[in-house]
Amino acid sequence: MQSALASLSNDLAKLVEEFQADVVAVHARPHYPSSGVQWRPGIIVTADHTLRQEEDIQVTLPSGKRASATLAGRDAGTDIALLKVEGLAPPAQRGGEAEPAQAGELALVLGRSPDSGPNASLGVISAVSGPWRTWRGGRLEHYIRLDATLFPNSSGGAVIDCRGRLLGIATSGLSRIAGLAIPASSVNRVADALLEKGRVPRGYLGIGVQPVLIPDALRTKLPVPNQNGIMVVSVEAAGPAERAGVLLGDVFVSLADTSLEHIEDLQSFSDSGVIGKQVTAKIIRAGALRELAITVGERPR
Amino acid sequence: MRVEGFGQVADQLRRSTVQVGLGGRGLGSGIIVDQDGAIVTNAHVAGHAPLSVHLWDGSSFPARVQARSTRRDLAVLRIPTTHLTPVTMANSDDVRVGELVIAVGNPFGFVGAVTTGIVHAIGRRPGLGPTRWIQADVQLAPGNSGGPLADARGRVIGVNTLVAGGLGLAVPANAVARLLAGDFAQAPLGVVVQPASVRVEGAERLGLAIIEVVEGGAAEFASLRAGDVLVGVDGRPLRTLDDLEGALESGGERVLRLQFLRDDPSRLRTVSVRLGVPQAAVA
Repeated sequence: MQSALASLSNDLAKLVEEFQADVVAVHARPHYPSSGVQWRPGIIVTADHTLRQEEDIQVTLPSGKRASATLAGRDAGTDIALLKVEGLAPPAQRGGEAEPAQAGELALVLGRSPDSGPNASLGVISAVSGPWRTWRGGRLEHYIRLDATLFPNSSGGAVIDCRGRLLGIATSGLSRIAGLAIPASSVNRVADALLEKGRVPRGYLGIGVQPVLIPDALRTKLPVPNQNGIMVVSVEAAGPAERAGVLLGDVFVSLADTSLEHIEDLQSFSDSGVIGKQVTAKIIRAGALRELAITVGERPR
Repeated sequence: MRVEGFGQVADQLRRSTVQVGLGGRGLGSGIIVDQDGAIVTNAHVAGHAPLSVHLWDGSSFPARVQARSTRRDLAVLRIPTTHLTPVTMANSDDVRVGELVIAVGNPFGFVGAVTTGIVHAIGRRPGLGPTRWIQADVQLAPGNSGGPLADARGRVIGVNTLVAGGLGLAVPANAVARLLAGDFAQAPLGVVVQPASVRVEGAERLGLAIIEVVEGGAAEFASLRAGDVLVGVDGRPLRTLDDLEGALESGGERVLRLQFLRDDPSRLRTVSVRLGVPQAAVA
């Protein structure tokens, strides 16, 4: 009778054998190749931060052979990039919507190196967050924090749970503290946008801002509920804010019924979903409250 | 259902793991591979003398180096005792990426320390040449060298040898089996040598002085004798201790031309030695 340990060991090795057919090595930077996962037929998802070049990208296939890859799109905000490659059998595992991962479950990170083939790292899921904004300004449905060791080659690799579900893409580029998995749901959303447009469009207002404290007397007089507002310290020429009549010195207190007290409160306006929408801005100008209508634009490339 | 955790596997392995030392100082670890005192360790651990081996039960023995492979960094030691508990060796060709592994050894002077992880990769390591390594994400430290890397069933799949890139690298068990199966009672050449500095044609060079010629060996058949100093192989001067071993390891039946000095240091002699010929064929 096989011990539980031997049985687990065997299951892990079998998962590696199964998934390694869809994991490639990605050569897009000097020294350390990264990894990539065939997410849809002929489409490889990798970690955007591991691409230091956009031309002459190559991948090492499971057969050991090298193949050329073309960049289909990249989004630094979510650390996702898409490559198009020929010569791979269609993926066995579809990058579908898995139910949310649970903290404490075992997770395997699977990458590929051109020297030694598939490589694996084992850990547990340390935590699963709610909706999250990355330090690069992108939006993730959630992140999955891993305690598995990520080696230089691991970013872009597949994160698999012990039930054999593809949870997402491993990356060391979104957190200084831990390796994360970009969840399958985010990968799918970003992949759709990248395949359609080559990039993920970002909403944009065209202002530089700074938080300011609203004096009590003004708060009572106007009145506004905010302790703080966001003051405009620069207005981009021909940007959405300038076209709406925003002036230097205006203090935003709300935008589209969202109270603005901290810079982070503005971040939801960089989502692609609001592009083209008209939003009402409540501003304090020269001691009085005014309303302006701003049509959210798309961030220029 | 009885569930065996790593604890039981670790206990078993510890009994077959030894500490290799020099005087009172620990140098590394070793693995008991037969009940009559054969210990496998790294060549770099066994590169000193006099060596002692400390067993799990606290007993200690002097150790003699019986065989070395500097290329694979392995050595076989012999200690004068019997009724030891050897490990079971696995076929390392069957090891798969993802398998659970356990390493036992003597890092930082801790005796019988255990670390676990999984096999990260199997194959070449960039910058470490063409040799195959079993690479595992186990936490190794100096003192683990020469100790066992085992699978979830406690069978040894490799000898922990070095740390690179956050991974523990082990020489696969099959390489160990080849060293053990080789006739290590006598080296392929059949000589025991000691490095010496010699003058050849006016220049200081490395020589290997023959201390003993093994009876029935290829060197005896070629009429080499104790006192001869080997200085070259196939026309190339010996530059490092590995040069001779490297030439011998090429395997197969062939003729090796050795340059040597005998009595007269100004006269460089050459002898052709036939290697790889079974003893029975030597008349």
